[in-house]
Amino acid sequence: MNSMRGNVDERLDALLQAYRDACPAPEPSANFMPNLWQRIESRQSFTFSFQRMANAFVTAAVALSIVLGVYMSIPRSNPSSYTQSYLEALADANTLDTPDYVAPVRLELSDPGR
Amino acid sequence: MLVDFELIKRAQKGDSASFNEIVLAYRKRILGTIARLIARPEDVEDVAQEVFLRLYFSLDQLRTAEVFEPWLHRLTVNAAYDYLRKQRRRQEFRMSDLSEQQVMLADAAAGGKVEHEEQHRKKIRESVQSLLGAVSEADRILLMLKEVEGLSLKELEKIYKVNENALKVRLFRARQRVLKAYGAAEEKEGTGLSR
Repeated sequence: MNSMRGNVDERLDALLQAYRDACPAPEPSANFMPNLWQRIESRQSFTFSFQRMANAFVTAAVALSIVLGVYMSIPRSNPSSYTQSYLEALADANTLDTPDYVAPVRLELSDPGR
Repeated sequence: MLVDFELIKRAQKGDSASFNEIVLAYRKRILGTIARLIARPEDVEDVAQEVFLRLYFSLDQLRTAEVFEPWLHRLTVNAAYDYLRKQRRRQEFRMSDLSEQQVMLADAAAGGKVEHEEQHRKKIRESVQSLLGAVSEADRILLMLKEVEGLSLKELEKIYKVNENALKVRLFRARQRVLKAYGAAEEKEGTGLSR
């Protein structure tokens, strides 16, 4: 501690050196290696299960894409929609007996000349 | 280097015994560095295990023997930095907060001399930790590696992958801040720190 009586710089250096001596390397415990391997294995199993989950997700996504691709590529086999002409379809949609288009009958009897 | 590259290569291929040998060779050194960086004896082993855990999972990235030690140092620095940041976040890092081991040591030190020596060490640890509170965690680690661990600027350059001049500037600024805090502490306590 005598060296600490110098200037502040020297005293700080001496304090840091004293700190080094005051913090010796601790002796590793008997469980150091078993605990380390336990941590390694648990990290490995986590990584492994994450990878497996990611793989399953990717596989499912690929399978779904293929199914959707196949579904979209198959032509729709609904014969009525393709055999009808446009006019026929229009006529079907606007038939006279469609209730929306049937107005009540009104007889104009007051002015027959008109 | 404490181990030869052949051993590292075998560990890279998944040989557990070789990895064990590497850990055993560097364990003491890493524990010492971490003890001085984090200054909480009860957590030193946990942080050291984190270093070796990171080493295990990144060992396959190592290509040449000469970068092994700087790389291990970098892993140590990163693990200590993560720990210190977490500690600051939890606001557990208080000088009045004695660690478990310190309490145990204080209890165990029944003899006057042992007790006195431990008290003295404790005071030094507390003083330095208090001073290092004046700089960021990153600067604190850098300063410790240079001033306490005694690493050269060349070694620090390899660890941080930053050029020497940038390191010098950063070290100078960190040291100035610590010196300022030291001066202020001395003024506050009279000659308390130098006793």
